[in-house]
Amino acid sequence: MDDELAELQRQFEFAQQAKSSIRLSERNVVELVQKLHQLHIIDFDLLHTVSGKEYITPEQLRHEILTEIKKLGRVSLIDLADTVGVDLYYVEKQAHQIVSDEPGLMLIQGEVISQSYWDNVAEEVNDRLQECSQIALAELAAQLLVGSELIASILEPRLGTLVKGRLEGGQLYTPAYVARVSAMVRGASRGITVPTNLTVLWSSLQQLLQEMDGTNGVVVDSSFFQSIFNGLLKEGEILGSLRAGVHWTPNVFAVAQKESVDSFFSQNSFISYEVLQNLGIPQPIQYLKSRYPEGTALVDVFVHPSLIEMLDAATEDALERSSWIGALSVLPASFGSQNASKLLSLCPSVQLEIKSNKAVIFGESYLFSNGFLKDVYGRLEKDMETFCVSGSSGVVLSNDLSDIKVGHDSSRFTDSSETVHEMSSNKQATEKGSKKKRGKSSGTAAAASVTEISVNTQENFAAKSKKGQRKGKDTSSLQVSDSKSAVKKESVKPKEDNNNIPSEEWVMQKISVLVPDFEEQGLLFSMLELSILTTTEQEFISLSNVVGIDDLETVIRPLANYLRPKLVDFWKQKRKALFTENAEKMKSLLDNLQKKLDESFLNMQLYEKALDLFEDDQSTSKPNNLGQQVILHRHLLRTTAAAIADTLIHNLDLHNKLKNGVEVEESQNSDSVSLTPGERITISKSFPGSLSNMALAVVEALEGKRVETFMTALRAIAEESGLILRKLDKKLERTLLHSYRKDLTSQVSAETDPVSLLPKVVSLLYIQLHHKALQAPGRAISVAITRLKDKLDDSTYKILTDYQAATVTLLALISAATGDEEDCTSDRILSRRELLEDQMAALKGLVLSSSQS
Amino acid sequence: MEGWDPSTKSTLTQIPLLTTKAGPRDGAAWTQRLKEEYKALIAYTQMNKSKDNDWFRISAANPEGTRWTGKCWYVHNLLKYEFDLQFDIPVAYPATAPELELPQLDGKTQKMYRGGKICLTVHFKPLWAKNCPRFGIAHALCLGLAPWLAAEIPILVDSGMIKHKDDTASSSES
Repeated sequence: MDDELAELQRQFEFAQQAKSSIRLSERNVVELVQKLHQLHIIDFDLLHTVSGKEYITPEQLRHEILTEIKKLGRVSLIDLADTVGVDLYYVEKQAHQIVSDEPGLMLIQGEVISQSYWDNVAEEVNDRLQECSQIALAELAAQLLVGSELIASILEPRLGTLVKGRLEGGQLYTPAYVARVSAMVRGASRGITVPTNLTVLWSSLQQLLQEMDGTNGVVVDSSFFQSIFNGLLKEGEILGSLRAGVHWTPNVFAVAQKESVDSFFSQNSFISYEVLQNLGIPQPIQYLKSRYPEGTALVDVFVHPSLIEMLDAATEDALERSSWIGALSVLPASFGSQNASKLLSLCPSVQLEIKSNKAVIFGESYLFSNGFLKDVYGRLEKDMETFCVSGSSGVVLSNDLSDIKVGHDSSRFTDSSETVHEMSSNKQATEKGSKKKRGKSSGTAAAASVTEISVNTQENFAAKSKKGQRKGKDTSSLQVSDSKSAVKKESVKPKEDNNNIPSEEWVMQKISVLVPDFEEQGLLFSMLELSILTTTEQEFISLSNVVGIDDLETVIRPLANYLRPKLVDFWKQKRKALFTENAEKMKSLLDNLQKKLDESFLNMQLYEKALDLFEDDQSTSKPNNLGQQVILHRHLLRTTAAAIADTLIHNLDLHNKLKNGVEVEESQNSDSVSLTPGERITISKSFPGSLSNMALAVVEALEGKRVETFMTALRAIAEESGLILRKLDKKLERTLLHSYRKDLTSQVSAETDPVSLLPKVVSLLYIQLHHKALQAPGRAISVAITRLKDKLDDSTYKILTDYQAATVTLLALISAATGDEEDCTSDRILSRRELLEDQMAALKGLVLSSSQS
Repeated sequence: MEGWDPSTKSTLTQIPLLTTKAGPRDGAAWTQRLKEEYKALIAYTQMNKSKDNDWFRISAANPEGTRWTGKCWYVHNLLKYEFDLQFDIPVAYPATAPELELPQLDGKTQKMYRGGKICLTVHFKPLWAKNCPRFGIAHALCLGLAPWLAAEIPILVDSGMIKHKDDTASSSES
């Protein structure tokens, strides 16, 4: 047993004897604490730590929180809960208590922040501010992870103390910076001379700053500029007026504006609102009224009383001279017609004149004195008379409005001289055309229109249309008048109203012709009427230089409108007078016609009957008999029928003219009308509608070979035009035949020419034997004689045939005669004639004796 | 090392390991071994004391240190049950683990051999063999007796096989 072992033994013994340390389990401790609570030895709340292994008193917690805050200055509650090891709920509760107790602390968004922390922050900010001269609050807020409003509220009380700078619109600035920017603002706003929207200015300044600061430059808010600007304005460093916070009107500008308005107004004694608007005055009327209370505001100009006086004087002058004036010519060029009319109405003299009905305003700005109007009306009336007489141009113009309009327009827009020329020539042409025969009128018109190419076509056109219209008019009126009288009255009146009233265009044209000063000066040369005009025309001409063609229209149209009713009235009266006059003529004409027609138509029928003789043996006769018959027909048509047709057509034409109010100068010599086929056709064509067709049919029938066709055609036209054709009855025929026979007998007894005796004798024989009146041409005589053969005794027939043969030979000789002296034919003719003359007595005796028996 | 609760294991690792491989018949070497045994026991005891987990008293019953006697106890329901403890160092020690005897409990439980020698878990033997010669008496107590007591005493108490000395006293009195 060595010592070491013994020692160890002792040690082990000792170790085993040693008192073991006493330990309490957690559970025991918890139980103990609970026990203590129960026993009220601990009479305050105990808090657990998050781990649940510790108890902590609220005071301890508070203390720990305080130390933590003091250490850091700014502590998040969540972090605090972590570090203290107590549940967040208790930490929050405690923190609220602490913050409410300690004034230097604040609880913001779950963070406890002490004033000292803010001081530090402010110092930091100041350092940075001195370095950068400006900092955006938003930037700071983002850096510190707090709201910018908070930052602003924190920094505001420290501005000037801890933070040496200025807070403006969310930006911090150093005084130096502020000074620089305000210098910029001052410079810029002093540099402005026209009204400007300040935001524009600020944006340009911003750009400037950006460029100066380079990329790190912070965007300066415009409100900063604005506040600086307001400050400067208040201090009087810049002059001007600010409207709505952004519209800056510098004093310089206002002064310049006022001066320019003043100078313009005083120089011109008017000023248009447009000028003011250009100068930047938004409400020119109010502005001007307040500045010049004596002035007058018109539609778009503002005028000084002196201008009114001037106009007044001019109008007074014009009215006194009983002429007219266009206000626009007196007023400055920029005045519109509206303004002019308003201004006119302001003139005292005009007011007076209008009130006393001595003047009229047309086309807004043209003042016409009554005297002038009367003058023009008088001349127009005169013109109208010719118009009425001619009766054509009115019809043309009113009926063919569209044509004329075209013509008028084109002429208006051609050169003024052309216009005038055209107008004058047009007038001339119409007058000429109306006076001369219709067939020639187109020719005259064409001749007149040769002058100008531009006018030419249109002129022709007008002439043509006129012609067409006239023809139409002729027939239609004739037709109407020939129909029943009741219908006539009804239908004529509207026609008149519609057609024959002078149109506005026509009146305008007339006026422009009559009063040439409305036109430009180019028309001087062509105007006959020029001589009528007084000295005022010079003025007018100068006016019309100013007044454009469009203006011309505006003057003349209302004038024409004014005058037209009167003219129309005049025209109507005139027409009425003409009508009553013409009605009588028409009546007599128709009576005449009827009479003539009756007579000749009866004769015609008589002659036609005679033709029946030849009809009878048409079938049995030889072919050449047919030819003879045709000859007879044609002869009848050529002579009697043609005469009838001519009288009829001529009279119808005359009637038509009268109907239209045309004065027909002669109607008495109408008996001796003889028309060529061509004339017949043209007149027939000029009749309206069906009448024209019928007339044409008559004319055609004249050219035909059958009398019957002519008769039917003639009957048709007579019926159409209201004429009565009397039928031939027995009694009438007898009397007619008797008179014819008497006539023929006397002719035969008086006849000395052997050649012309024969047909008469033959006709007389026909009357005696057949009681038919024969009209036969020379060529048909032999046939007629042969037809008499079986009616006459042989001796008589012999005489007749001999005489006929002798006559034929004589005629053959005469036709063969060359007129040569040495020729023996003349001798033979002479001998033949003698022979015939010998036989004449026998022939005469033949007829006369039988007639007497 | 599975088969033991974590606290046992942690305790076990804190007991100093032995180095000398010697049995009771090896003379000086045994002495050396005995010294190491003491050191380990002292450490273990101190450890237990410090953890307020003191549960045995032993001492060598002969100078050679081959027989050991003492007491061991277990607290159950705030009552301390104390038993005699004795064991011999076998000749084949350290290859063979000492057989711990609780003579008072002999015949009272099935987990015991004749003579009060406790039955150890199946894991004990291989672990011991593996750690020969590093495990000593302290280890045997720690790994063997302590878990056995913790497992068996509550059962024995509940089944009424053992009674607290106060109860026995009171019951004997009555």
